[in-house]
Amino acid sequence: MSDLLSLEITFSESHTIFPKIVLSILITLLILIIVRRIVTRIKEGKSKKFNFNFFIDNYDKPKFYGTIILLLGYGIIMEPIGFLLSSILFMFLIMLLFIGDLKRKSILLSLANSIITSVFIWFLFGQMFNITLP
Amino acid sequence: MEIIGILTPLSVVLVFTGVMLGIVFGAIPGMTATMSIALFLPLTYALDMVDAIALLIGLYVGGISGGLVPAILLNIPGTPSSLCTTFDGFPMTQKGQGEKALKVAISASIIGGFFSLTILYFFAPLLSSIAIEFSSVEKFLIILFALTVIASISKGSLLVGIFSGVLGVFISLIGMFPDNNKLRMIPLGLEEQLYYGFALLPVLIGLFAIGQIIHEAEEGMKPAAHQNFDLSKNKKNKFTFKIFNGQLVNTIRSSVIGTFIGMLPGVGGSAASITSYSQTKNFSKKPEKLGTGEPEGLIASESANNGLIGGALIPLLSLGIPGDSTTAVLIGAFLLQGIQVGPLFITTNPDLWNGIVFSLIIANIVMFILMFFSIKYMAKIVYIPKHTIYPIIIVMCVVGSYAINSGVMFDVWTLLLFGFLGYLFMKIGVQIAPFLIGFILGRQSEKYFIDSLKGSNGDLMIFFTKGPIAIVLWVLILASVIYAIYDSRKTKKEKREERNSEASENPLNS
Repeated sequence: MSDLLSLEITFSESHTIFPKIVLSILITLLILIIVRRIVTRIKEGKSKKFNFNFFIDNYDKPKFYGTIILLLGYGIIMEPIGFLLSSILFMFLIMLLFIGDLKRKSILLSLANSIITSVFIWFLFGQMFNITLP
Repeated sequence: MEIIGILTPLSVVLVFTGVMLGIVFGAIPGMTATMSIALFLPLTYALDMVDAIALLIGLYVGGISGGLVPAILLNIPGTPSSLCTTFDGFPMTQKGQGEKALKVAISASIIGGFFSLTILYFFAPLLSSIAIEFSSVEKFLIILFALTVIASISKGSLLVGIFSGVLGVFISLIGMFPDNNKLRMIPLGLEEQLYYGFALLPVLIGLFAIGQIIHEAEEGMKPAAHQNFDLSKNKKNKFTFKIFNGQLVNTIRSSVIGTFIGMLPGVGGSAASITSYSQTKNFSKKPEKLGTGEPEGLIASESANNGLIGGALIPLLSLGIPGDSTTAVLIGAFLLQGIQVGPLFITTNPDLWNGIVFSLIIANIVMFILMFFSIKYMAKIVYIPKHTIYPIIIVMCVVGSYAINSGVMFDVWTLLLFGFLGYLFMKIGVQIAPFLIGFILGRQSEKYFIDSLKGSNGDLMIFFTKGPIAIVLWVLILASVIYAIYDSRKTKKEKREERNSEASENPLNS
């Protein structure tokens, strides 16, 4: 019994003890969740088909993938071309994407918002508060 | 304690700015007080500790209060804690009493705020004087207690909620273990970047803000159903403080409930206002009218959710444990400034402690004045389109993440990674708030766990035999687990009954 209730603490291995415990709890919980799901499914009968749709019905493909691509692109171009330029470009494009059309008004609005915000943030953080920007 | 000696004019200006920005954030549906604090964290870098905390307290109070605007006007809770405000607030708007509803809610907010502040002022030092005696065993048990309350904030499945919390703990362990400087669980090739694990701030704003934005992009950035209601069409029925006549008991009861629920780590804002709303309904003389546009319900919800603020700060400042996700971010602010929050906090940082109290007083007053007299104009905030505000938020998130460790590009990637994860989590049901609490408390729980075992030569019984405080903590842990199970059963049962009654009402649809 006393063996069960004690753990050996070796200095060189102490970094693995807690992660191991947490991992075993995680796996136990995962198994429990899966078992519970299966049990409820059997109880409810097979009338309910397993229909798990990752995306909602008619999800907005251009906006969804566009957002992800723009986010990644923003991260990639930020260091090479600097914060100010990359932010203006990113904000302009993502705002146009969110509005969803290429009318004159939308382009002007996006341009204004991206330039004003980026310059303002750049000035406030980078210049006034001396915070490092990319 | 001299208020002028502690708060500089700059800190007063910062409280004011914080409240104003907080109200704006709280008023935009989808943006929360937590997010506003997270976004402005990097800005506090350049400030003194007292000034920094003044700004953040302003954001906190403003953010929680701002949530009432869309709740009343659009039937969308601006923050989770203003959920119950919609029950009576929106019907009042529909009746043309929107302005009156806003003013009732604002007045209730300031009462709740001041009540909880008083409790905080007297209770936090007391609690921390007890906690000073704690060894690593008690500290571990307190963290365990905080982690068990994750269960009660989990929505839907209890097991999944706990799983989310434990997952957060697990992810937080990535990196170097300070005891023996050994690395663990780092994907190959990232040893340098992940030496200290993932940074808290990018993880946090990634999960909350970026995840939410990707989610809304999937839905096509549809504007919320904005309806234009005339705020004070019903001229005869204007706001006067007479509404509060006969509401004294209700106001006090709701503030008490808000404060004490706020104190329980992990329970959070929506629980506070839901509990006080349901209690008000239980004690009301006309319970059937609640939910149809009664100021009584507004008072209950809003005094409770502002009561929460002081309450949630109690465990934070006396034990170093966050009461909700917002205070969890505040911990980040203290850590940034190199200040350890815990039992010794109040005695070693008296100026900061007084600064917090004064900031809270000023923030509540500013919140009241700003909102009460300019509510008509403030109300327009809820009509700012998402396509304008979201790009700004993304850029702010990036700046914040990049700046947090003075210019580490990897932190921006962490932000984006956890943004995608946050979106994925929403899809597969992993809950963000429990995950985050696990992530924040993970490292500390490991430290105290290993320290306790080192002290006892590996004997696990030390957690039970340490002394009376340990026993009390175990009782609390057990109680909170049992409560969570009971509560989750109850909600499930209620849902089932609802479904059944709906099914019997519309047999054709079922």
